[in-house]
Amino acid sequence: MKSSRRSDAATEALRAAEPDATHRPPESDWSVLMARSQGGDARSYRLLLTAITPYLRSLAHRFGLGGPDLEDAVQDALLTVHLIRHTYDPDRPFAPWLAAVARHRMLDRLRRRMRQSGRETELTEFHETFIAVATNQQEAAGEAGRLHAAIAALPEGQRRAVEMLKLKEMSLKEASEATGQSETSLKVSVHRAVKRLRRLLGEG
Amino acid sequence: MSATENLIAKLSEGLPPVRRLRKPWLRAALWIGFATLLIAVLVLLRGFRADIDECLRNPFYLIPLAGSWLTGATAALAAFEVSLADRSRLWALLPLPAVALWITGFAAGCLADWIAVPAGAPIVQDSVRCLTTILLASAGMIAVLLPMLRRAKTLRPNETAWLGILAVAGFADTAHLLIHVVEASLLVLAINLVPATVIVLLGGLAGRRAVAT
Repeated sequence: MKSSRRSDAATEALRAAEPDATHRPPESDWSVLMARSQGGDARSYRLLLTAITPYLRSLAHRFGLGGPDLEDAVQDALLTVHLIRHTYDPDRPFAPWLAAVARHRMLDRLRRRMRQSGRETELTEFHETFIAVATNQQEAAGEAGRLHAAIAALPEGQRRAVEMLKLKEMSLKEASEATGQSETSLKVSVHRAVKRLRRLLGEG
Repeated sequence: MSATENLIAKLSEGLPPVRRLRKPWLRAALWIGFATLLIAVLVLLRGFRADIDECLRNPFYLIPLAGSWLTGATAALAAFEVSLADRSRLWALLPLPAVALWITGFAAGCLADWIAVPAGAPIVQDSVRCLTTILLASAGMIAVLLPMLRRAKTLRPNETAWLGILAVAGFADTAHLLIHVVEASLLVLAINLVPATVIVLLGGLAGRRAVAT
């Protein structure tokens, strides 16, 4: 009696799980499909794996997995189901078994990712560096030290003029008032200073 | 076809039938039967301890004896249950009451003369024989239990291994308590912790890799 009911259910299940079926097969049918898969029925197995994939995707989504990670997690769960399919007991409901297996694998994945993110920093555009001097901002910061040293080595008048007009960005008029020098002589000082700096820093 | 569909096609292609795992309680019962038989064989080979008649009237002997066997049996059942993904982890608590009975023997053992050692008993000679009993019993039981548990390709290798080893330690001590005068329940447990640690370490590496992609 029981076995005939089961084979009826299995036929039902196969019909319901056809790809063109409009409704999702009820959970008990997954159990029948898995029982047949354990017996080596490839068609049932393919139907089952196809049917559980959307469920695995939503589970992975609930675990906060996204993008390529989500699809990886789904495939990982499918592989695990495949590897331990002999441990499923058809007398028990299939969904809790599947959920336990999938949840276990996804938690593992999350834990691994957390461990990784604790140790690693993802490369961003800022980290990428090229041969061209202009892209190496860190190098430029080093150059600033040399520039300051060169400025400090300038004669007194030129140094003051560069500091006020270039570094503090004062206007000619403000600098003239502060130093008592004429605007023209300040201009000359700055011009000479820049020329000298170029020579000191090995440019031009 | 997406990568996932590809995978499904590959997995279902030429699908071989698999031998379904029997019920965990049945597998546990088979192993408990084997372990008990092994204890009986060891007792037959080595003979009961000299003071067995006296011991069997002493509750301080009988309680740890029963506790050790019950620890073996409950831990074995718990190991087979926990090894399956959809069974509760709470199975791991099942051996606790039996362990409580068993460790009353450890405490009593510390009192040294909790049971009268017969005058002139060859203690040192017995210690060596006692160690071999423990090793023989443990090795025999592990040799059968390990492949049985591995069949489950468990997702919880650590819990399963610890429970399995607790089962082996319990039964090994049952054999020991029946055969030898020297109190060594703690030693039995300690000896079994060595293979347990190795199994957990190796199992942790191999087990995870076996189910990983």
